[in-house]
Amino acid sequence: MRLIATLLFLLVPILGVWTFWIAPEHGWWFPKSVSSYGADIDRLFYIILWMVGITFVATEVILAWCIFRYGRKDPSKAAFTHGNHTLEMVWTAVPAVLLLFIAFSQMKVWADVKFGDSFPKDGRFTIDEPIGEVWASQFDWRVRYPDEDGNLEGADVIEKAFEFTVPLGEPVVFNLRSRDVLHSFFVPNFRLKQDAVPGMVIPVWFQADEPGEYDLICAELCGWGHYKMAGRVRVLPADEYDAWLAAEREALYANGTEELEEDE
Amino acid sequence: MRHPVRLAPALLLVAGVVTGCENPTPPGLTYSLNANIVENEESDLYNEDLAGDRTAQAQLAGALEMLFGSPTGPGYLLPEEWIDDEYNPSWGDAELTDDQWSELVEDNARALKWQLEGIAQGNFEAVVPPREAFDLQEAWYDYVADWQELRSEVELGEAEQSELDALASEITEEGTAMFEEWYPSLRESAEMYRQQCWHCHGADGGGNGSTADFLSPRPRDYRRGIFKFTALDNKARPRRDDLYRILEEGIYGSAMPSFKRFSKAQLNGLVDYVRLLAIRGETEILLSTEYDSEIGGFPIDVVMQTYLDVWAKWDVAWDEFISYDGEVPRIDEESIAHGRELFMDAKTANCFSCHGEDGRGGGVSAFEARALNDEIQAELDVIDAALVDAKKHAGGIAKDEKHKQQRHLALAKVERLEKRRFDLVNERVKDDWGNEIEPRDLTRGTFRFGRRPIDLFRRVYAGINGTPMPSHSSLKGPDGERLLTDEDLWDIVHYVRSLAVRELEHAPERGDEGAHGI
Repeated sequence: MRLIATLLFLLVPILGVWTFWIAPEHGWWFPKSVSSYGADIDRLFYIILWMVGITFVATEVILAWCIFRYGRKDPSKAAFTHGNHTLEMVWTAVPAVLLLFIAFSQMKVWADVKFGDSFPKDGRFTIDEPIGEVWASQFDWRVRYPDEDGNLEGADVIEKAFEFTVPLGEPVVFNLRSRDVLHSFFVPNFRLKQDAVPGMVIPVWFQADEPGEYDLICAELCGWGHYKMAGRVRVLPADEYDAWLAAEREALYANGTEELEEDE
Repeated sequence: MRHPVRLAPALLLVAGVVTGCENPTPPGLTYSLNANIVENEESDLYNEDLAGDRTAQAQLAGALEMLFGSPTGPGYLLPEEWIDDEYNPSWGDAELTDDQWSELVEDNARALKWQLEGIAQGNFEAVVPPREAFDLQEAWYDYVADWQELRSEVELGEAEQSELDALASEITEEGTAMFEEWYPSLRESAEMYRQQCWHCHGADGGGNGSTADFLSPRPRDYRRGIFKFTALDNKARPRRDDLYRILEEGIYGSAMPSFKRFSKAQLNGLVDYVRLLAIRGETEILLSTEYDSEIGGFPIDVVMQTYLDVWAKWDVAWDEFISYDGEVPRIDEESIAHGRELFMDAKTANCFSCHGEDGRGGGVSAFEARALNDEIQAELDVIDAALVDAKKHAGGIAKDEKHKQQRHLALAKVERLEKRRFDLVNERVKDDWGNEIEPRDLTRGTFRFGRRPIDLFRRVYAGINGTPMPSHSSLKGPDGERLLTDEDLWDIVHYVRSLAVRELEHAPERGDEGAHGI
């Protein structure tokens, strides 16, 4: 019985490690990282995963060992101990060091991704001249691109629903805004997640290094239709992006006859 | 093991998990009769004869099932002349243009990437069609069954091995085509509708799904065949493209989201199914008005004629398409000024009467009672007189118990009258579906049908179906000429666009409120 209980408890770390082990080949792991800072964020994740993983396995093994070692029926009275100063110092100091390590090791990445001062300054999109705005609302994404004069308030602004088209391989800065409640702009492939807060204009940046279409989802429960806020980010090579934007500018002044031609 | 009773909770838990995992019966698998016809006495569609006649109701439901099938097996009944013409509206893909069709095939290659990759690698068992694609699933699993059987045999001779290889290469070729050219059947689209649309729009498109009550504006009731946002004149029934556009772009400012994340095939299928629900609902309404309690029932020729009448309405769409021959005029100060003049002119465009002088939607005509309706004015006079009387009794200091009670009653009466008066004066305009609506606040820049100039032009030109927004192209002067030319309409569009932009200029600057680098 003691052996069965021990093995049962040992199953927990074994199955736990096994699920992580086989996850990538079943497509249960992270989607491919395609942004410039995605690898840095993944690195932080793996540091924490290893720390937690080792601690988890060690704890579980000690637990199983205790069950095996002390699990037999013993009629004698339990011994009384009054703490162990060294042991307590160790289990306070070690986690403290680990926590401080986590806290300090993430600071640079966080600053690079989130701090306005460290936003890219050389590209054609900067914090003062963003590519456009992304508006979140219940339950909608609207991307607004400025008109040819760079004016985001003009009549010729381009507005796209649920689709954010961006150029490849250059830093893209945009302003994130919300019309009603909290939303969160989340592109798993970019390792980018930023809350949209009503009343605030939040600059966000990323650089996509692979062309393609990536899921854009809302990561902050915003109401019953939260799950419907599924859009996509399209990453196009820079020249295709320019051509696309020019075509959109032209399409703004469509007179409807192009649909007739399509039908014939 | 000595105490089997101890196992009982564990067994119960396992049993609970097993039964809990079983799929519940999917909802929305039956159509029901339009409640506005048979239940809702306040509706304009209410039919007293039909409401009291269960047999006739069953006959109506039967007729509709004959024409349109059920949610699990939807499809149009084909009259003989359609069969002769080889016309079948159940095949939505037949109505696509060549361009649309090749776009759709290209898009399938993107949307069904995993399946196509699996086929290309010969890994047929890993290929799983989309979950709503019943017919594709059936066809695919049937198709690979022989291959699977042959492969599972323990020992393969040389001849068998080469047969297997031949089969595999055939499947690779034909299977790729099967997935790339997938176009959902109505049955598959109905399942997709249940997954994505049903919870707002209801099983039969009545705009009465379980989430509908929490939404403002309410989801569209398709069953009148009226769709607000089309590119068509004369209240024509929508084209497939009109419905497709709504699915793709959503309706900004309402709860209708964009469904861009789905493939073109899936969205086209949804358009087919929504059209079926709309035609079905319209046939239902028309049949209910044809119902004659003396004859009883619905004779087959009446049913068929009604069916064809409704279809005739849906066939004219492209003839009513609005486009503008020539380049869309650009916005300038002069046209804005002229547009404003027309906006404020009660004799021509008369926009301000509903949208207000400031364009914020608070015009006098937005309230029904203010439209100086004699009947309402008469009731208001009676209420005002009664109020004066009641207020007289409600005042003063009570001398005794009886007086106190009288005063109490008078106060209650005052309250009642004032409420009625408030409701009368503030009664809002309603749309065809019976929902209170407000004229759009044009300064917000949220235009439901789209914000391109041509979208706004179409709204001014043709009006908005089912609402008091009128067509301005059909206004005629005394000599029969158009009161507002296309150029006038463009000027109004320009003024409306300028309203929205001006509002945006007042939006707070980023520096005022934005917090950089949080």
